[in-house]
Amino acid sequence: MSDTLLGVKDLVVEFSTRRGILTAVDKVSFDLERGEVLGLVGESGAGKSITGSAIVGLIDPPGRIAAGTVHLAGQRIDNLPSEKMRRIRGDKIGMVFQDPLTSLNPLYTVAKQLVQTILTHKDISKKQARDRAIELLDKVGIPAADLRIDDYPHQFSGGMRQRVVIALALCADPELIIADEPTTALDVSVQSQIVGVLKKMCSEHGASVILITHDMGVIAEAADRVAVLYSGRMAEIGPVRDVIKHPQHPYTKGLMGSIPTITQEGDRLTQIPGSMPRLTDRPPGCAFAPRCEMAMDVCRQNHPEEKDVGTARVACHLMRKEGAVA
Amino acid sequence: MKDTLVNVENLTRIFDVSKPWLNRVIEREEKKLLLAVNGVSLEIRRGETFALVGESGSGKSTIAKMIVGLLSASQGKIDFDGIDLSQPGGAEMRALRQRYQMIFQDPFASLNPRWRVNKIIAEPLRKFDMESSESARHKRVEELLELVGMSAKDGVKFPHEFSGGQRQRIAIARALSSNPEFIVCDEPTSALDVSVQAQILNLMRDLQDELGLTYLFISHDLSIVRHMANRIGVLYLGRLVEVADGKELFRNPRHPYTKMLLNAIPDLDMTGREVARPDGEIPNPINPPSGCTFHPRCPIATEYCKREIPSARNSEAGSVACFEATGD
Repeated sequence: MSDTLLGVKDLVVEFSTRRGILTAVDKVSFDLERGEVLGLVGESGAGKSITGSAIVGLIDPPGRIAAGTVHLAGQRIDNLPSEKMRRIRGDKIGMVFQDPLTSLNPLYTVAKQLVQTILTHKDISKKQARDRAIELLDKVGIPAADLRIDDYPHQFSGGMRQRVVIALALCADPELIIADEPTTALDVSVQSQIVGVLKKMCSEHGASVILITHDMGVIAEAADRVAVLYSGRMAEIGPVRDVIKHPQHPYTKGLMGSIPTITQEGDRLTQIPGSMPRLTDRPPGCAFAPRCEMAMDVCRQNHPEEKDVGTARVACHLMRKEGAVA
Repeated sequence: MKDTLVNVENLTRIFDVSKPWLNRVIEREEKKLLLAVNGVSLEIRRGETFALVGESGSGKSTIAKMIVGLLSASQGKIDFDGIDLSQPGGAEMRALRQRYQMIFQDPFASLNPRWRVNKIIAEPLRKFDMESSESARHKRVEELLELVGMSAKDGVKFPHEFSGGQRQRIAIARALSSNPEFIVCDEPTSALDVSVQAQILNLMRDLQDELGLTYLFISHDLSIVRHMANRIGVLYLGRLVEVADGKELFRNPRHPYTKMLLNAIPDLDMTGREVARPDGEIPNPINPPSGCTFHPRCPIATEYCKREIPSARNSEAGSVACFEATGD
């Protein structure tokens, strides 16, 4: 596959604590094609955000990438010195965070933040940079962008602020955008607007997106493929439609059943007993085994390898080489 | 069956958000008032789950707090089982207070971190003098812990030793300890992960069947509300725009705002249903639009809607506050 933009292979992120070493991300591998939207879902503590931060090299001590490689457009980026990595982050990777207030500087106008970012990465005049900033704001759907560009972040509402952050992430025409829970702080009606803007902008700019969220609804709307993480490990990865309609891994099945939907009749939600193990006492073998109804002896002893099942890749002992066990 | 347990009439709450007096005098500013809840009337029937949905700033939590008495109402009346809650004082109020409880959103903030779980759950028992002896109280706490799916031994632990879902179970056990009839649940699962959320929602439904509870369920998530509620009230900027039976509301929404919310729900069944993106955002409640507050975002608004405020029209299916709504 020549059109792979990002390749993550056997990524391991560790944090050393007083109680020993915590493996927050344990051998996660995936590829991202150009122009593709990959969703990363999981519950809190599943390692979604850490995976995102590891890709852009923003893991702070005591955390570190203990093993594995990250390739961006053919170049290995996980072992670069910090100054080189900073250039790559600016030029090739854009980030959108959960809380738009903390990713904008409250003391500068939106114009100043956008123009400064554009000038850092592009060799154009200040006037051209400002025109480009207005054009970007207009594209992300801010009304009267030429007037509002001189406002301060606090003068925007939450949804509008998140649009500004998206514009900011697109300033340098990045190839990859990592959006970490971009809609979590927003209201339902605004949430779907932002998902729409993100999707439109990325396809127009030809950027690939890693969309990190705990909300399957957002994934269903925006992503092409989805990776389900559980306790720092990949449980299942595959095309969105297949994973949502025909989940293979017992955890994904439970997860999908536990989400109430508006078309669903019936009284009870499927529930997964218990909760995700703490990273300090992850069981030997499959991390999901203690909560899994179909767990076998082998599940409690050996960590399952990832296997191709149809269009998806699933890490579960129940999966045989050919197809799934119903 | 129409046995009203809680009846709320014309409930209004105004918050004073003005600057301090001296600033107002110097800067020659008027007082600023925020109308958080504006003339809301609703009734909750015995044994049902009534849900309030709305976006942030729509007044959901303010209504909940007024009903349990954590905030006083600026205007309007709340009747609980036929008794006006603003009237009784002292002993009568204490007896009444025992009959309704609240579950809060954030189980990390609603449990005292320095108390053991036993003491937390037993607090209502002590306050209302419900069990005579210490050992009887202890026994009751153990029963409650098992009722919410925890172990009786968990009572000696502190809240920090539990996960979010378990803490919410403790909060539910505490709410149940005084044998209430009515529980106000303010976004009880929004701080929890989906798989844990399903456990808590199932638990709440089981408890309702077992103990005959009535719930006021507050949420911003329509799919959860669909799952939990018998009847649903939709709030927009402090006004109740539509009240209908749960199924009816989803099958046949009448207010344009309800339609907009329903269209914005992500298509998780992958049916290929077109997800319509709503226009605009909820306006600032300090400066609400004139007339019907929804008119700037409404696809069917007329000139009339910009001037006049629609009042709720009742029909068999429920009530709707809109001039243009069809379907009665």
